[in-house]
Amino acid sequence: MENRLLEIKDLHVSYGSVCALWGVSLHVPEGSIVALVGANGAGKSTLLKTIAGMNRPKNGSILFSGKHITGLTPEAVVNAGIAMVPEGRKLFARLTVKENLELGGYIPRARPFIQKSLEQAYELFPLLKTKSNQIAGSMSGGEQQMLAIARSMMSRPTILMLDEPSLGLSPLVVKMMFELVEELNRKGMTILLVEQNIYQALKISHYAYVIKTGKIVLEGKGEQLLSDPEVQNAYLGTME
Amino acid sequence: MFDYLTFGLLAQLFINGILFGTMYGLAAIGLSLIFGTMRIIFLSQGAVIILMAYCCYWLFTLFKIDPYLSIPIIGLAAMVLGAGIYQGLFRRAVKMEDKNITLLIAVGLMFLIENLMAVMWTPNPRSISTGYTSSSIPVGGLAISFTRLMGFVMAMLSTAGVTLFLKRTLVGKAVRAASEDIEAARLVGISPHWVNTIAFAIGIGLCGIAGIALSTTYPFDPYFGFIFSLKAMIALALGGLGSVFGALLGGIILGTLESWSSFFISGGWADAVSYGVFLLVLLFKPEGLLVRSVKKV
Ligand SMILES: Nc1ncnc2c1ncn2[C@@H]1O[C@H](COP(=O)(O)OP(=O)(O)OP(=O)(O)O)[C@@H](O)[C@H]1O
Ligand SMILES: [Mg+2]
Repeated sequence: MENRLLEIKDLHVSYGSVCALWGVSLHVPEGSIVALVGANGAGKSTLLKTIAGMNRPKNGSILFSGKHITGLTPEAVVNAGIAMVPEGRKLFARLTVKENLELGGYIPRARPFIQKSLEQAYELFPLLKTKSNQIAGSMSGGEQQMLAIARSMMSRPTILMLDEPSLGLSPLVVKMMFELVEELNRKGMTILLVEQNIYQALKISHYAYVIKTGKIVLEGKGEQLLSDPEVQNAYLGTME
Repeated sequence: MFDYLTFGLLAQLFINGILFGTMYGLAAIGLSLIFGTMRIIFLSQGAVIILMAYCCYWLFTLFKIDPYLSIPIIGLAAMVLGAGIYQGLFRRAVKMEDKNITLLIAVGLMFLIENLMAVMWTPNPRSISTGYTSSSIPVGGLAISFTRLMGFVMAMLSTAGVTLFLKRTLVGKAVRAASEDIEAARLVGISPHWVNTIAFAIGIGLCGIAGIALSTTYPFDPYFGFIFSLKAMIALALGGLGSVFGALLGGIILGTLESWSSFFISGGWADAVSYGVFLLVLLFKPEGLLVRSVKKV
């Protein structure tokens, strides 16, 4: 059996009286790309936020490298090695590109390596180096998404969670985005990818889950799901 | 007739206004940091400044410690007090949805400090009188009061210090990041309590500096603080939230306005003019006179 880096068991999450996740279970093997796809409001962001420590689950457990991380603060979760690029990027818009990157390496585990991580980030994204003193909020959408990913890599994570990285980007940039995700994975990064861009997400992922109103309704290898009539129907037709 | 006397007078008023305004500015910087990170309107700021002025006064009267030598003592003590105020009074309250709770705590703290000061030190006005209190430095025919000039220099240096801290250190950058978006800040691993403690330590530390500047330049009494908080808020409205030098500049503009209006209209009008300006700014440029609008991501 492959090494389960991240394992979610029977997770229940609710906002007040509204239940957003009803017993979600999934796992991410080390070194793989796992995609989580589903319609608006299905609970994808809720799941990522709960893993990141932003939401407290009502029930269920989250295991990272076999250890319980359920209920940790977001700070502790990043320090443990789980980085998230949130939906809408959430950059520090008034800070410079370089300051955003430096703060990505704020956690105690990554802080001693900030200079080294910065060089690696600039190597991966030469564009960010040329714009290092630009205010983050003044960059284009694609550049901001790059910065958001680079910032999360500054924490030297073991697993990267991306919440709709292609959101609001032009088709060409979306293509680059997915290539980047694949490249990061080739370099050894484990990735949990949330996407509405189902076709591309399933194509690059090793395994995928389909979530619908807070429950996992389908799962399988990426290519396999692509040929699934139900997915095709949902993908080609309207996502209700 | 525009002779030298009127020009000299105008300039003198201007300089006095600037020097007094820097104290508003210091208070405004603290308010801005505390509001920026926690969305707390820290109305007790003025009362704390008066408390610090009393500390300076008593160090001088009882232990003969020169006010300027007490800067490190009071500055450090104020920072510790600030951290204590956050941990003791606001740590739990900042997490609550209802921001009125933090406002009530701040108001309660203000009354507590005011009454404590009145009981301990009587409501009579105090002022520090040293050998150099009445000395002044002649600059091109104008006399600049030494203590006010020192107050100005202290304000400039501490503003520069705070700016350097916020711009150059990683922790300072974390404070700015948290002011902008606390959720995003937590996702990169910034602990809100740590950032909030620092914001309070700096904000109250600046109260220490302002208190020393005040005690050496003007008489003060236990109830002077509330007006001071209000003026600091006006300075903040002028300078705009989120800019340290803007807040200082806002204070200076307000000080100058007050100094001129109290001379040309009458003393009682100075406050009316400040509040009038406050309303006008809130009506027409609520983001602050000196702020360029920044778009959010
Ligand atoms: N802070 C919140 N308070 C209350 N309800 C919320 C909150 N956040 C999300 N929800 C609800 O939880 C459900 C799942 O939302 P979530 O954001 O996880 O969906 P999503 O799959 O990420 O959707 P999208 O693709 O639009 O981003 C939705 O019904 C949403 O209305
Ligand atoms: Mg979402």
